[in-house]
Amino acid sequence: MNNGKSIASHDLLRGLRVAITGGTSGLGLALVREMASRRAHVAFVARNRERVTAVALESPGTHGIVGDVSRKEEIHPIAMQILGRLGGIDVLVNSASSLGPTPLALLGDTECEDFELALATNVLGPFRLTKALLGALTASAREGRAAVVLNVSSDAAISAYPGWGAYGTSKAALHHMSRIWHEELANEGVRFLSADPGDMDTPLHTLAVPDADPVTLKRPAVAATEFADLIAAAIARPTATDALSAHATLARNVEAGTT
Amino acid sequence: MIAASEPRQRPLDARLLVLDRKGKIVHLPRADLVDFLEPSDLVIANDAATLPASFAGFHEPTGARIEVRLAGRRSLANDDVTRFTAVVFGAGDFHTRTEDRPLPPRLVAGDRLVLGPLIATVEATLEHPRLVALCFAGSPDAIWEGLARHGRPVQYAHVPTPLALGDVWTPIAAGPVAFEPPSAGFVLDWRNLAAMRARGIEFATITHAAGLSSTGDAELDARLPFDEPYAIPQATLAAIRRAKRQRRRIVAIGTTVVRALEHAALRHGSVRAGNGIATQRIGPRTRLRVVDAIVSGAHEPGSSHHELLRAFLDDRTLRRVTDALIAHGYRTHEFGDSVLIARQAANTARHRSNSRIALATPLHV
Repeated sequence: MNNGKSIASHDLLRGLRVAITGGTSGLGLALVREMASRRAHVAFVARNRERVTAVALESPGTHGIVGDVSRKEEIHPIAMQILGRLGGIDVLVNSASSLGPTPLALLGDTECEDFELALATNVLGPFRLTKALLGALTASAREGRAAVVLNVSSDAAISAYPGWGAYGTSKAALHHMSRIWHEELANEGVRFLSADPGDMDTPLHTLAVPDADPVTLKRPAVAATEFADLIAAAIARPTATDALSAHATLARNVEAGTT
Repeated sequence: MIAASEPRQRPLDARLLVLDRKGKIVHLPRADLVDFLEPSDLVIANDAATLPASFAGFHEPTGARIEVRLAGRRSLANDDVTRFTAVVFGAGDFHTRTEDRPLPPRLVAGDRLVLGPLIATVEATLEHPRLVALCFAGSPDAIWEGLARHGRPVQYAHVPTPLALGDVWTPIAAGPVAFEPPSAGFVLDWRNLAAMRARGIEFATITHAAGLSSTGDAELDARLPFDEPYAIPQATLAAIRRAKRQRRRIVAIGTTVVRALEHAALRHGSVRAGNGIATQRIGPRTRLRVVDAIVSGAHEPGSSHHELLRAFLDDRTLRRVTDALIAHGYRTHEFGDSVLIARQAANTARHRSNSRIALATPLHV
């Protein structure tokens, strides 16, 4: 935080309209705090009303929205509240994630419903929410503002870890979808990032690996700082085509920071 | 014309009637729209997303069931969601034709309306028993949540199945400020926008709070459209100025775009960027300063949308268009077929000779 580069990227997010899903837990919560501290206008989405209220109280000026991105019928009401409260959107972070079966299960032991939940939360939710917000994101780009979507990926999207079948498959789909969105919307000025925050000390990780030693895990606040810098770097880049080539490198950098 | 009753924005069999500048009519699949634009066109659409503006509830003093349809707001500001004008119906819902809906109980200032989680107070009635000024209780955040959770899209009896919010958001929908969808924008999809770019057609947007298209009450309908706030981005203004300078056509996607751009040009003769409130009616006596062509729905004579087309065409040509729409079974209303109408050469010549404002005067050569 003390070097000049970080201070510059702090300023890049000031005043931006940022929406974060999964905003009351783990990385999403850390991102709400990080973005609010960088003076972005933040709206966040999560399922539990009490937790939404508590996080909004803790970070004054943020707007809490109660909603479940895995449910199709809630997407437009969520999108409408994001756009209504922020007056538009410059950055969308799809952070809400489901592991699928908990405890983790081999694919052969995974119930279809648990697999569907992982897909609904990690693939369909980001797809639908991005689609509902696409008009606002492209409007932002046309007006010369930022238009960035960051999808939270995982090394399980790339590596085949036994026991992570539903989660890994869904994150692989999300990662690939991000790349296709990026290709299709480069001309509209919307940039897509897909990045792996690394293994973090979060409620989701505890569900997946209950006996992990927290000391070996990254703090979500550290990952949130890296992700905020990643978004700032994408915004600082002059054209979407540049962001495309930068995408892999930046994502690797974030991953590299975790090992 | 037949009412389109399926809530599909881009049915594969959607049709487009094209009236060119010389008055020639062509019928096409609407998917071919981009082919019938000119490579130098500037296409401008309304990017307003649609509020779920219909609220079921009751009138607290009498307990009578009512439906409230939000109909207007004084600005587009995202925290300015406390005060609305609204049309109030008695018991019932969209399944009953608006013409047949009962009046609400007598509404007086101070009456509370309970609309699901939202509480609205009647501030005044506006010279009609159905039309009121409302004030919602609560913070903007709470009001936005109440609107999102309890509101339903305004809909009419010609679409029998309940609409979801996604059914009425155009693909380019951004700020949720419209009370009914700017449905001409249903023709747009991302493939079309890419095709326009590939042909060198420029695309820009304005935001205009499209209001109710009908109340079912002749006296109120005669007052439509109500005042509608709009915003014109700087980038759109720059695109308009470029197009005017280079004598390129400006094609409006929908009547709301015409209303906003022409209103913005009223005072100074050319468009200004920023916020405004469109108060004017557009009809046969309107001199169009900005827009050269319009993509619109297949509207029936008598509607304000149909009236607006009279600014583009003389009555004889408009009659020919209407006859062709009827003869060819075009579907009307928001999910219906479309027309692409270029302002007629005769009208343009007359306008041009009357105009002294070169920048604001489109030239068709």
